[in-house]
Amino acid sequence: MNMSIRSQLLKGILDGCVLAVIEKEPVYGYELSQKLLSIGLAEVSEGTIYPILLRLQKNGLIRGEMRPSESGPNRKYYFLTKAGYEALETITTEWKQLSKPVNELLMGRREG
Amino acid sequence: MNAKKLIEENNLKRERLTPQNEAYYSDLLLYIRLQFSLSEQQSEEVLMELLDHLLDGQKVGQTAVEIFGDDPKRFADQLIEQLPKEEKRQLIPFFGGIIATIIGWFLIIRGFLFLLLSPFTEVKTMVYPLSSICIAFVIAGFVIFTIVLILKLIKRSFFKEKDNTTKSSILAGVVAAFGMAVVLLVAKFMPEIGPAYDFSWWASILGGGVILLIRYGSKKFKSM
Repeated sequence: MNMSIRSQLLKGILDGCVLAVIEKEPVYGYELSQKLLSIGLAEVSEGTIYPILLRLQKNGLIRGEMRPSESGPNRKYYFLTKAGYEALETITTEWKQLSKPVNELLMGRREG
Repeated sequence: MNAKKLIEENNLKRERLTPQNEAYYSDLLLYIRLQFSLSEQQSEEVLMELLDHLLDGQKVGQTAVEIFGDDPKRFADQLIEQLPKEEKRQLIPFFGGIIATIIGWFLIIRGFLFLLLSPFTEVKTMVYPLSSICIAFVIAGFVIFTIVLILKLIKRSFFKEKDNTTKSSILAGVVAAFGMAVVLLVAKFMPEIGPAYDFSWWASILGGGVILLIRYGSKKFKSM
């Protein structure tokens, strides 16, 4: 039950999280999933990022490029496009506007 | 890296998977590759990413179920939904090439058969193009129907622990046999309509040879 509520909440904002990780530095799929995990965003399964990456690519928010990785073999690294930056800006603004009242409402419960 | 290279690399890397991970991944791979309407390049790229991820996870003791979830079909469908479609420009030469190869070989075999049989029996080298085209359409319809059916049966058999391959094989066999009977009956009773031309054994071999040479040449040209 807890897991399904979390994954439902995450669904709407996961795109923004993926874009924000890629903005910091270009990553490939496995790196991205490890970074999301270490931030504390344990999604239902690591594989979930791949349909998201495909969708973001299709919408032109990120682009993939084959490059040699640190460990040697070629990996598909993802970069943010200009449209991706703009989308991330919008998501960040929206999240700020949304998280403040939601925080106040939900956190205020305990005191009351 | 083009799709062909990715497929070769995929074949090599897959050998490093554990038997359970290999079984899971291979189902995923076949299921996605059988979606002919999807971009081959994009499909192979994401398949390579999944394989790399699985190999990385395997090093730290993760299994395919832990990484991709316990519902491989749902996962594959989510990927398929987001994969771009193959451009029609690339599909037409693909199927055109297959049809040209079949016609080329058919003409060569026909030519040699006529050459070998003519000393023993009277062979009819007259061809009625209109009738031939009708028969060709019936054959094409039969082939397409059978292929689509077999692909459907294969797709249905994925991700199932208990598969009824025997039942599927019998169904495919019956449909293929029945279709073949229809093709033979149509070929036998097709009336000879329209103009007729003499299409001798050497013209047949020559025509077939030219078609296959063009096919071979264009393949070489493309891979250059």
